[in-house]
Amino acid sequence: MQLSLPEFHVRGDCMTAAWKRRLFIASFVWPTLILFLVFTVYPVLRGLHYSLFDWSGSAESMDYIGLRNFKDMASDPVIAKAIRNDYFLVFSKIFGIMLLAVFFAVALTRLKLRGSKFYRFAFFFPNVMSVVVIGVLWRFIYNPKLGILNGLLSETQGKPVETPWLGDSSYALLALLPPAIWAGVGFFMILLIAGIKGIPEPLYESAQIDGARQWKQFWHITVPLVWEQIKVSIVLIMLTSLNGSFAIVSVMTEGGPDNATQVLGYYLYQMGFKQYHMGYASAIGIVILVLSLVTTIMLQRIMKRDSVELS
Amino acid sequence: MLKRKASLTATALMLLMSGVLAACGGGDNNKENASTPTSGTSKNGAAETAQLKGDFEIQYFVGGYGDAWWKSMIAGFKELHPDLNIKESAGPKINDQMKPRWIKNDPPDLVYIDGAGGLDVGQAVKDGQLMDLTEWFASAENVDGEKLSDVVITQPSAIEGKLYTVPLVFGSWGTFYDKALFSKNGWEAPKDFDSFVTVSEKIKAAGIAPYIHPGVYTGYLIGGFLFPAMVSANGDDPSILQDVSDLKPGIFKSEPVMKAVGQLVTMRDKGLIDKAAVALNHTDSQMQFLQHKDAFIPNGLWLPNEMAKDTPEGFEFGYIPSISQAPGGKYVANPYTSPMAIASKAKNPEAAKAFIQYIFTKKAAIEWAEKTGALMNLKVDLDSSKASEVSKGAIKFYSSDNLIVAPAVPIQADVNKEMENATLALTDNKIQADEWAERMEKIAEKVRSQK
Repeated sequence: MQLSLPEFHVRGDCMTAAWKRRLFIASFVWPTLILFLVFTVYPVLRGLHYSLFDWSGSAESMDYIGLRNFKDMASDPVIAKAIRNDYFLVFSKIFGIMLLAVFFAVALTRLKLRGSKFYRFAFFFPNVMSVVVIGVLWRFIYNPKLGILNGLLSETQGKPVETPWLGDSSYALLALLPPAIWAGVGFFMILLIAGIKGIPEPLYESAQIDGARQWKQFWHITVPLVWEQIKVSIVLIMLTSLNGSFAIVSVMTEGGPDNATQVLGYYLYQMGFKQYHMGYASAIGIVILVLSLVTTIMLQRIMKRDSVELS
Repeated sequence: MLKRKASLTATALMLLMSGVLAACGGGDNNKENASTPTSGTSKNGAAETAQLKGDFEIQYFVGGYGDAWWKSMIAGFKELHPDLNIKESAGPKINDQMKPRWIKNDPPDLVYIDGAGGLDVGQAVKDGQLMDLTEWFASAENVDGEKLSDVVITQPSAIEGKLYTVPLVFGSWGTFYDKALFSKNGWEAPKDFDSFVTVSEKIKAAGIAPYIHPGVYTGYLIGGFLFPAMVSANGDDPSILQDVSDLKPGIFKSEPVMKAVGQLVTMRDKGLIDKAAVALNHTDSQMQFLQHKDAFIPNGLWLPNEMAKDTPEGFEFGYIPSISQAPGGKYVANPYTSPMAIASKAKNPEAAKAFIQYIFTKKAAIEWAEKTGALMNLKVDLDSSKASEVSKGAIKFYSSDNLIVAPAVPIQADVNKEMENATLALTDNKIQADEWAERMEKIAEKVRSQK
């Protein structure tokens, strides 16, 4: 008995230490986890729950209808159109933003431009503006009779141009791209600049000595070493586009004309709050969630490369 | 549709106007005054009607019309029923604030539906939130002993044959033009569709686009042109709008509706509709109209007020209720209204009914016109009142023999949206009239099957 006592003590101390450690970790994990559960997981589950009901969103009465909202979506032509539009925006934005962001980032770091601080500020500027302001601004630019774009076109072509950029179903969606890309470039440019600045200068110097020109340096040094940032940027653009196209569509076209610029996010809002189908809107929300997840995983797979690490 | 669109646009106007009011330094109307029970129990005992007791809660949106009229009405009602504890749930954000209570089935007794986020009457009826007022309204009298159904300008609109609302604010859609511009150019204001087409072609020849509308909110074109056109095409019988509201099978392929749509096609094919319209919202289109880029615009009677700050010197608003009638035909006024309704779960429905009976009087209507500059849905002579000249002119107008006041019918939200989409596509030559009818019948069928 007497022998076992110290052993017990030792074990007790061990447990206290382990518990202390656990408590220490928990004190960091739990607050965030609780916030995450309350503000992310719970609403998602609630949305999933509502998606199984026929509910107007403005009354107590809810009818359980199982998966009918999802079945209805399959035969709703607007859903198919919205998904197509969403992915058109996603891929066009990835292409447009990455092209410009990479170009500007390289130009402002590697190409020793004068006034690079000014350009950095100028390109980043749209990021501090609200999407609403951007949308309203571009509505003015696109205005068929009073807008600056048609004004310039009229000047250069010598005849009045009154193209209703946002009103013609053939090119309204295309017209959403310039503001969306313009608004997005700055942030990713900064992200890439940070990445490029982290690349040790001697790498470039030795490449220079070996006779590699800017173009080769870009492909063989810059791109592999900022690949992580590029990957993150692409996934972020995809996510913000799938979940955030609502804002620009809402301000600029409200999904029109005749659903030509409809995206899932705006259609969710329209169904839930303007047409009183909150259950259906929740089902759309679930689809957005699933699409975001699937697309993220696919993009991650496609962009997988052997990581290059600086030692 | 009209009601909803009207309330949406009215909201826009109200926000604008309340902004103006606030900018003027007053801003009293915008003060948050939700849930302030009216206190004071002065016992003058002068009331001859049956005394009402208990709590009575009224929800009203405070926007461009302010709340002075409401305060005055509630004070008067309180004097009549000193034992009634009146609770006002009011303010510019009241619709959002009260929404949870409507969802939880704990609504106020009486609601004035207006402003952003306000109840959608059709949906609220479907959800069983509003009280059936059919029987009551048929015999209800105001405190002056006049039958309500006799004194109102526009009758309450029916949903499946039943009445759930009483329109309080009244105005109408129509077509606007600049009188000064027309007289300068020797153009005549159209009296019917033929003269509209004739003068529009002259206008076009003079280098001005004849007709602009906000394509982003096609409801303006539908309210200001298409619906009156349906009534004209139906031999001036406004019951067609009730049929549209009820989604009678085949109604969108019926002759009057197709004739009205055909008039739109005529306007399109003759190039009378400004090509820019598809891309514009209401403000854009109104600015173009004010800048004489376009001659006509479909809009509501709020337009001169809404654009007061941007109206150029010498611009004279002219208003035509409808331009779709055949030569010699009557004008059709397609109204927009903001209604009052009683909750089906009202705890004090008697007080709610009594309050409606108290406010639908000539005295209250005059006070409304004087305090808000708009019209209340009540036939009244404003000549000797302090109401604005616009209000005085408008109220006379509605009692003219040459004018039909159509009912303000609710259009189900899905049908409304599809009608906006299809009508815009039609005016932009993306679809033709038969496809329009096909699409409308399809959505109507879908909505009917969901009932």
